[in-house]
Amino acid sequence: MSIVKIVTDSTADIPFDLQQELDISVVPLKVHFGEETFEDGVNLTSNEFYEKLGGADSIPTTSQPTPHQFETEYRQLFEANDSPDIISIHLSSKLSGTFQSAYIASQTLGDDIPVTVVDSKRASYAIGIIVVEVATMAKAGATKEDCLKRVDELLEDTTVFFMVDTLEYLEKNGRIGKASAVLGSLLKIKPILSLTEEGEVFPFEKVRGQKKAIHRMIQEFENRYGKDDIHVGISHAKAESEAKSLMTQMNDHFTVKKEVLTNIGPVIGTHVGPGTIAVSVTKMRK
Amino acid sequence: MTVNIIEGEKFAQMLVEGANNLSSNSKKIDALNVFPVPDGDTGTNMNLTITSGVKEVRAQTKNHVGAISSSFAKGLLMGARGNSGVILSQLFRGFSKSVEGKETITAKDLSKALDYGVEMAYKAVMKPVEGTILTVAKDAAKKGNDFSKHNEDVNELMAVVLEEAKASLERTPDLLPVLKEVGVVDSGGQGLVTIYEGFLAILRGEKVADSVQQDEPHMDELVKLEHHQSAQSHLATEDIEFGYCTEVMVKFEEEKMAENPFSEDGFRQQLDQYGDSLLVVADEELLKIHIHVEYPGNVISEAQKFGSLVNVKIENMREQHTTILNEKGSEPTAPKPSKSNKKTEYAVITVGLGTGIADLFKGLGVKTVIEGGQTMNPSTEDFVKAIDESNANKIILLPNNSNIVMAANQAADVSDLDVIVVPSKTVPQGLAAMLAFNPEQSLDENADGMNEIMKEVKTGEVTYAVRDTSLNGVAIKKGDFMGIYEKNIVSTGSSVQEVAKELIAEMVDDESEILTIIRGEDRTESESDEIVQYIEEQHDDVEVEVHLGNQPLYSYILSVE
Repeated sequence: MSIVKIVTDSTADIPFDLQQELDISVVPLKVHFGEETFEDGVNLTSNEFYEKLGGADSIPTTSQPTPHQFETEYRQLFEANDSPDIISIHLSSKLSGTFQSAYIASQTLGDDIPVTVVDSKRASYAIGIIVVEVATMAKAGATKEDCLKRVDELLEDTTVFFMVDTLEYLEKNGRIGKASAVLGSLLKIKPILSLTEEGEVFPFEKVRGQKKAIHRMIQEFENRYGKDDIHVGISHAKAESEAKSLMTQMNDHFTVKKEVLTNIGPVIGTHVGPGTIAVSVTKMRK
Repeated sequence: MTVNIIEGEKFAQMLVEGANNLSSNSKKIDALNVFPVPDGDTGTNMNLTITSGVKEVRAQTKNHVGAISSSFAKGLLMGARGNSGVILSQLFRGFSKSVEGKETITAKDLSKALDYGVEMAYKAVMKPVEGTILTVAKDAAKKGNDFSKHNEDVNELMAVVLEEAKASLERTPDLLPVLKEVGVVDSGGQGLVTIYEGFLAILRGEKVADSVQQDEPHMDELVKLEHHQSAQSHLATEDIEFGYCTEVMVKFEEEKMAENPFSEDGFRQQLDQYGDSLLVVADEELLKIHIHVEYPGNVISEAQKFGSLVNVKIENMREQHTTILNEKGSEPTAPKPSKSNKKTEYAVITVGLGTGIADLFKGLGVKTVIEGGQTMNPSTEDFVKAIDESNANKIILLPNNSNIVMAANQAADVSDLDVIVVPSKTVPQGLAAMLAFNPEQSLDENADGMNEIMKEVKTGEVTYAVRDTSLNGVAIKKGDFMGIYEKNIVSTGSSVQEVAKELIAEMVDDESEILTIIRGEDRTESESDEIVQYIEEQHDDVEVEVHLGNQPLYSYILSVE
């Protein structure tokens, strides 16, 4: 029986030490500032990115990894690990072509190197939370079948809410989805955003004021998770103190068995802008 | 002489005279409005409501009490404005149900009908308040009922009803403390009394049935109403069937009248063939006509048969309409159905005064903002029109004023479409409700969410007193500013800025996150800036947003959430 290896992409925003600890392979997306191109998290850290963003004339653009990048990654994994089964979990296909690239790579490799590509229908640590849970199982020796069964559960059980400082970034990059309904407003609205079942951005609720938004978010988590053991990930774009205080509140309200505080990396940061906070929650297995 | 029966014609005269009497007293009734904000419009609202009823009565040619009553009720229902207007319409809705099918009515029929009207009105009001038009109607109907058990004279019955209505009106201050404090009787109740006075005057023959309105403003008011209604029903210039708004005033001449006897109804029927929006009023001396026609000459010739022309006014409505369209920036030559009017799943219709307020609502996804508010309550018909024109399957009404909620409810009842009223009582409540609006949810889910979110917003308003008064033991001088927090006056004084600051101090607490200031047309930017500065000094953790609402009467509308 072969071992299982987990691959994801840089938009999962998994902290570096956690990647190391759980042997997760991360394929980087790219960020372009004018003529300059950077590999997400490889030669551009989150901090460097937000600094550059502040000084940039225009919003940078991003691009998905090429199928070739995935093919190379899969090949290397395969050769280095005595024919493992590979599960490759990625950013919502409604938001990026990353899943498409990975899928093409898996098709190219065919039966020689079996890769199961999963559309997480999520972004940032909401992908990460699924990847980390499965990678933990895989490292403990679970089979591919068990891992994929768990992936299905996690896809079902994972919720993400996020708040942006301004909708400008989502709008400019065309990722606003159904949240565009909030754009015409003259009133300053702080929408609680989420992703639909299909993986598109939508305004879960329109509220005014951050306190109220957090209150509503916790209320909704309460409805969905109640007394469950949960894994909470909070990813933020240069909003560390808010993220920390929110994590404290989550601990006050819920049975948090695992918590991860992480940065929103350059690619997702390009689309949501500084000040964004995302809260991802999933059910842990008892 | 005992009179045991009221015939159709007499009944119609009663209704017309009731309306006339209300109309001539409407200013007096306005002045009874107890709340010392620039509101005083109960008389105006009731008058416009009953005018709409009488219009239907005139169009009813049958000499049949049931039929006339049903027309009257229908007109009232559609024209209902303000709470008193809506209650009035319900009183006669019940009345008309009760006399359905009766060609003539006896004293028993009349008292039973009044009684049934009261029952209907109480049912229509969610929380009936005693000491209002409801109490007056109830007491009067009860006395009438007792009387008609052993007496069949309709004149005497009406006299007893009127007497008790007056007595009950005098008692309203004992039931409603706010009336006592200000020292007035209830304005809606007073309106009902004047209607009953008109009824009795006809029955006793003290007044000849005159469907005549003597005063010019009244005709103007009617014309305005007609135009208001027709303006909304035309979307494109090419849709205007009758192109000329024509007003003719004729002084009756005896010689001509001898050849050509004048009958108001006959003349009305004759003109009705030429166009629409027809109004004909006449007294002994003058005949006034307002009509929209394609060939104004015909109307003038017909009118001239009864006397000499005093005044003629003809306006080309297509030109006017095109000008309006041009001002709005659309193409007059090829008016297309506007994009925004394509069939949608949802339409939210709200009420507001001030261009800025309308923009705020539209930015949040409202389809139609009916002009109106505290002093200009839209009628049931205004809502029905907006609903019909919305071209949507599901409609949500946000009245934004407690005096408009009932007209909205009535419109929702009348409409065949799926209409729900979310009873917002203030502009900030309406705005908050729009945040919870989600076109992907069902009507009920939306109503729940919108009702819920309204509770989280606090409303403050700064306005001025229309006359000297005292409320909650506070003396208020005419022209003084008042800070109203929800329903209570919490600050008063001659400086609008100080009144606003005191009001804000009452509204803001530790939980407050955002203060929104909607600036009225009478305030400058530097004035609102000064208030922003004050808040920043006092509550540095509260975020402040200022919008230009351009609303009249309210210097500032504030919301804290």
